[in-house]
Amino acid sequence: MSKTSKSQWDFGELFPPSPGSFGATSPPEQARRVLSVSELTEQVRALLEKHIGSIWVTGEVTNLRAQSSGHIYFTLKDSAAQLNCVLFSREKVTHRELLADGQKVLLQGDVTVYEARGQYQLIVRAVELQGVGALQIAFEKLKQKLALEGLFAPERKRPLPKYPQRIGLVTSPTGAAIRDVLHVVRRRNPGLEIILAPCRVQGDGAAEEIAEAIRLLNEFQSTVHSPQPATRTVVATADSGLWPLDLILVTRGGGSLEDLWAFNEEVVARAIFESALPVVSAVGHEIDFTIADFVADVRAATPSAAAEIITEGVFASRQLVESLVRRMAQAHPRRRLDELHQRLDDLQTDLLRCGKQGIRDQFITCNNLASRLRQVRPKQLLQQRRELLKVTEHRLRELAHVRLKDLKNHLAVAESRLQLLGPEQVLSRGYSITMDAASGKVLRYAATVKAGQKLKTRLKSGEILSRAEK
Amino acid sequence: MSKTAKADSTKGGLPFEDALKKLEGVVEAMESGELPLETLLAKYEEGARLVKICQDKLAEAELKIQLLEKTAAGEMKLKPLDLAEE
Repeated sequence: MSKTSKSQWDFGELFPPSPGSFGATSPPEQARRVLSVSELTEQVRALLEKHIGSIWVTGEVTNLRAQSSGHIYFTLKDSAAQLNCVLFSREKVTHRELLADGQKVLLQGDVTVYEARGQYQLIVRAVELQGVGALQIAFEKLKQKLALEGLFAPERKRPLPKYPQRIGLVTSPTGAAIRDVLHVVRRRNPGLEIILAPCRVQGDGAAEEIAEAIRLLNEFQSTVHSPQPATRTVVATADSGLWPLDLILVTRGGGSLEDLWAFNEEVVARAIFESALPVVSAVGHEIDFTIADFVADVRAATPSAAAEIITEGVFASRQLVESLVRRMAQAHPRRRLDELHQRLDDLQTDLLRCGKQGIRDQFITCNNLASRLRQVRPKQLLQQRRELLKVTEHRLRELAHVRLKDLKNHLAVAESRLQLLGPEQVLSRGYSITMDAASGKVLRYAATVKAGQKLKTRLKSGEILSRAEK
Repeated sequence: MSKTAKADSTKGGLPFEDALKKLEGVVEAMESGELPLETLLAKYEEGARLVKICQDKLAEAELKIQLLEKTAAGEMKLKPLDLAEE
């Protein structure tokens, strides 16, 4: 081995001297030795296969191409480098179906060189899930384990205080969750006091920080809750009363399963389980369930939902109080007094009306009686009789008058008939009646008349006195 | 079940929930219209007192956020935290 040449091509122990290897055979006199591409590539391949050989490697699958031959080609990458990979169809690999672009996997295989292209590559022998898949399995395992231990038991879920006044908050001071929580709390119960135990909510060590924050709040609780104030170790700021916490809210906003992973770790589950204060867990979105959610006394779908649950008692009560105040104003004694006054007025009016009514009734009765009395008065009766008499008298007169008229007519008729029969008519025709002047006897026979007898002759008009001569 | 659920009753005077319940009872009685005026007046005074208790407990206040930290000496410290509202 050459001790003189130290360059980037000096692989040191990786390329131990061996017959046939160019480093070892290169003569000190710098004799030129030319290799064909194939020879070089073959040597590189041999080196890689010998010195790296079968390895495990992890990364993210990208540029996946499944050929009709059944072989799968893809690139495994991380943030800085790439590795060509081949999964031949003959390999019996579990989770072959989980090879997909973007999937994080753990591959076992042999590093070799694809000589035709001069590329080194990984011949995949086995695929194991990394990332989401692995996390999911870990999630299920831990969930099962903790469930068996009773960490999720429904009977140990504690109810939340209805009117929390001071809560512990475990989250990142810079995350979306705290903004959401504060927004809701400001709107629904700004009187709530929040003690923030800050922690990171994702990344390495986040789980431990979350657990520590939960423990810190419990410790704080036990000190302020201590029966001997003298033993308190809390240094309070001027305006902070030392009343205890009502509950702890452990929260973070939405993210990928990896982002939320800290809340699926056992250390967090244990801290929640051991918390003397009830714990509300709100991690991610509605669809995200974490181990923390299962252990917590109450699981909320989102940070905002958690804030709503926590503020519900005060919020609803404030509305109730407002409505009670309105109702009380409605039932105010003054209103009642006003009503009573009005009622009194009504009654007074009624009373007066009733009094008047009584008088009027009597008046009417009296009038009736008087009118009836008037109707039965003798004067009235007398008058009536007089009237009757008058009418009767009148009728009598009428009747008499009619009768007289009748008689007169009758008489006239008789008279005219009499005249027809009487001498007048005869006289008017020139006849005359001669009577004895002395006796007035009508003379019918001349023989009865003596000479010298005084005669009276009646003509139609007037009479003649004469004396018979013979 | 929870020892903290009782916490709100420890902060002076009538517990809020009791006051609220009483207030509801008072208002319902007042609304029934069956109370003699004297009783109504007494109820009103009681109601007004309960309203004050409830409102005091529900008083709108500026949201207060404090940061809890543990110093190197193991001492717990609260300090006001000012988070600007969006």
